Amino acid sequence: MKVLIIGAGEVGFHIASRLSIENKDVVVIDHDQQSLRRVADQTDVQTIAGSGSSPVVLRDAGIKEAEIILAVTDSDETNLVACLVANILSPSTKKLARIRNADFDNYHNMFKDQPPYIDTIINPEIEVVNTIERLINVPGASEVVDLAEGRLKLVGVRLGEDSPYARQKLSDLSERSGGRLFLVAAIVRSEKMIVPRGNTRLMANDIVYFISEKETLGRSLKAFGKTAQPVKRALIVGGGRLGLRLAKRFEASDIKAKIIDADPVRCAKLAEEVHKTVVLQGDGSDQELLAEEHIENMDVVVSLTNDEQTNILISLLAKRMGAANTVTKISKFNYIPLMSTIGVEQVVSPRLSAINTILQHIRKGKVLSAISLKEEQAEILEAVALSTSDLVGTPLKKINMPKDTLVIGIIRGEEIIIPSGESVIHPEDRVVIFAQKYAIPKVEKMLAVKLEFI
Amino acid sequence: MSWKKILNITGFLTFFLGLSMGFPLAVGIGFSDGSALPVMYAMIVTLVSGAGLIFFSRSSAEETIDKREAMVAVALCWLAAGFAGALPFYFGQVLPSFTDAVFESFSGFTTTGASVLSAVEAVAPGYLLWRSFIQWLGGMGIIVLSLAILPLLGVGGMQLYIAEVPSPVPDKLQPRVRETAKTLWKVYILFSLCELLLLQACGLNLFDALCHTFTTMPTGGFSTRNLSIAAYESVYVDGVIILFMLFAGINFSLHYQMLRGKTLAFWKDTECRFFLLLVAVLIALVSWDVFGSIYETFGSALRYSAFQVVSIITTTGFATADYEVWPALSQLILFICMFIGASAGSTGGGMKCVRILLGIKYCYKELFSLIHPKAVSHVKLAGKTIPEDVMRSIMGFLCLYVLLFVVCSMLLAAMGVDAVTSVGAVAASLGNIGPGFGEVGPLDNFSSIPLAGKWVLAWCMLLGRLEIYTIIILLVPEFWKK
Repeated sequence: MKVLIIGAGEVGFHIASRLSIENKDVVVIDHDQQSLRRVADQTDVQTIAGSGSSPVVLRDAGIKEAEIILAVTDSDETNLVACLVANILSPSTKKLARIRNADFDNYHNMFKDQPPYIDTIINPEIEVVNTIERLINVPGASEVVDLAEGRLKLVGVRLGEDSPYARQKLSDLSERSGGRLFLVAAIVRSEKMIVPRGNTRLMANDIVYFISEKETLGRSLKAFGKTAQPVKRALIVGGGRLGLRLAKRFEASDIKAKIIDADPVRCAKLAEEVHKTVVLQGDGSDQELLAEEHIENMDVVVSLTNDEQTNILISLLAKRMGAANTVTKISKFNYIPLMSTIGVEQVVSPRLSAINTILQHIRKGKVLSAISLKEEQAEILEAVALSTSDLVGTPLKKINMPKDTLVIGIIRGEEIIIPSGESVIHPEDRVVIFAQKYAIPKVEKMLAVKLEFI
Repeated sequence: MSWKKILNITGFLTFFLGLSMGFPLAVGIGFSDGSALPVMYAMIVTLVSGAGLIFFSRSSAEETIDKREAMVAVALCWLAAGFAGALPFYFGQVLPSFTDAVFESFSGFTTTGASVLSAVEAVAPGYLLWRSFIQWLGGMGIIVLSLAILPLLGVGGMQLYIAEVPSPVPDKLQPRVRETAKTLWKVYILFSLCELLLLQACGLNLFDALCHTFTTMPTGGFSTRNLSIAAYESVYVDGVIILFMLFAGINFSLHYQMLRGKTLAFWKDTECRFFLLLVAVLIALVSWDVFGSIYETFGSALRYSAFQVVSIITTTGFATADYEVWPALSQLILFICMFIGASAGSTGGGMKCVRILLGIKYCYKELFSLIHPKAVSHVKLAGKTIPEDVMRSIMGFLCLYVLLFVVCSMLLAAMGVDAVTSVGAVAASLGNIGPGFGEVGPLDNFSSIPLAGKWVLAWCMLLGRLEIYTIIILLVPEFWKK
């Protein structure tokens, strides 16, 4: 199984490292030696220096044997041309491209049906807006993942010092919360992910990942000491493409939004595009402006400027001035682990979103979806349980699950089960499995399916 | 530095080497030559120490290995191999001392082929097979072999691979390092099989054919005969061995490409073309030099000079003639061949043709920019610019090589070895060739070198085999600083 990745930037690098861990033959093409060296040093892939849109380079890289080509350079044009060339050289190769320009939004389907026949087009901005929407609908969560078409939610929350659950054993939690509201899938403690057992104790400052049904999510969050209030008012700082997209999304879901941008010309353009959103021209980190606009009444402040340092500062400032919640856009991956230590909990990254979406799209077969969590330390797989699988027919507590994996949800038709030790999986159930990265091959074996790709 | 991981890898490798002693054991039992028992002791000791290392270094965490750890691990693996390989000789009292056994074993694994055995034919077949077999194992690299067959080396495999096969211009045959390692070994085994069959067709018995195949393909040079290849007195045997020494001296990725149908790959590759042309020119020069003065007919001049030039430049070290009686020019050419060595990515040693070629081009570039101070020029190989840092690393390598040669030959001279022998022995060890000049010439052996000198030479062999950086860096204090 061969995958060609064009572009050795953050997105290309992370996808390459993920696929190489899963023993796929990966070839990465980029013309920047520096980025290529980073890929070659840290992952087990082949690297080729050259332009990814060049037919000669693509042929040398073995496009004919490749099953998938991922065009994820920073240039939309290169990605499109690479797909076009790939289509000529090897029409059977599946093509996936990252296209960021919003002007292409309405043409995604056209690219699918006509040359270059791109099978999937990823626009990270759309994905980021989706992520932001999920996050602000679950206040207090640092990460929200939809499973089973959104009927199940996996939520990550940080336990405060005053949380009722701090220093509690997991086995005691369900009694205190009254019945099985949720299931703790993982704990992140000082940047390390632990898959807990019944006798694991929660600690203050842990990030707890739990799974809960959509309907009972509010009660689960309350149990963790996070009160859910629907977002009514929002402030967006940074009126770029992302800000505009988010503003439009807010208008569609009846959230009163204000958007701040420093550039008067951009503001004029924004004012043209939006209908109900208030467009403000000014500096997003200007305290007077923020006070004037009653930042203390905001349910959420989303900072989306192109400068991540500014975004971090605005979020900290907004928190201090009384905003209920903040979402911060960070592009540099290296910054993300630092964020929680300085009190910036909810972080979005276009690149991370793109990676997640791409991985979801290229997974196939009996695996329905796959989502990576916490800088890719772990993955959630949703798969159909085959009657041949070891999982089927025995109560979960009697199944010898691979280390650091956990069945966190069973979907049987309309019914959703948050499993306990007594639960039994039937054939054709959809099971949701949480697994640390290195345990994924073992899960594959357990499910008796290969994690295939398109 | 995670010692657990490093020792774990070393343990697995040691255990594997223990298993591979089953081969000489079987041969020893087959010939009932008295070698079976000592080899079995050696096998038990190796297996137990390997298993012990694995047991004490086991850990549950799945860690990857970083560059520094990889270098330590590779160095340790080679040391472990060197010492484990010495055990059969030591237990069997084939060699007078432990130092000699270790020397012989290092000379085997590093594919040097320098021997301290004076009467090879008197030694039991079991030991001789082991002596040849370790060259074969060391030829393609024991780490590369482990990568191909042991499942334990995950992502860190790439780092280990680089530490063992530090090619100046890296190329990976397959996207994944395990597949690359497997491919290399498949090609290696295929060529070995061909040679085995051809040697048998030339009239060698199975044992001799096997042992010589085991020492030709890795460009090793151990023989089962006192007179080396000269013992067979056959043009055909000479021809087959010349051919396969040349094959072994060519980058194995070119063999792979050739087997996949790109028959012109040899000629299209700049380094390979340089190597083949160089060999041709040197053979012509030496034949011209020895024709008349040593050999009566041009045919035999060509035959012996071709064999010797190929044997030395590919760093194999077989002998069909005593080149020490040849005229000075021929001797000097052979001496220089010891430094040039074979192609990168081959099983041969020395400085490697590509480094020499790029070094020359770099010097020309320097001269060119003296003439045109404003000129922007790059060192290119096959039309591709060699990055500045790769170039720096190559120049550094060439300097270190010469420096180590100077220091080690002075060390040897300080131990009372005569000048010609010191220089010849160090050049032959550092380049993994085998026979040198003076008292360690093609008809002599290394038994006359003092004890301490043998350790120096064994160290030189390891330096040469792992292309200096991996070993020398362990001696740099900065490496160990936290």
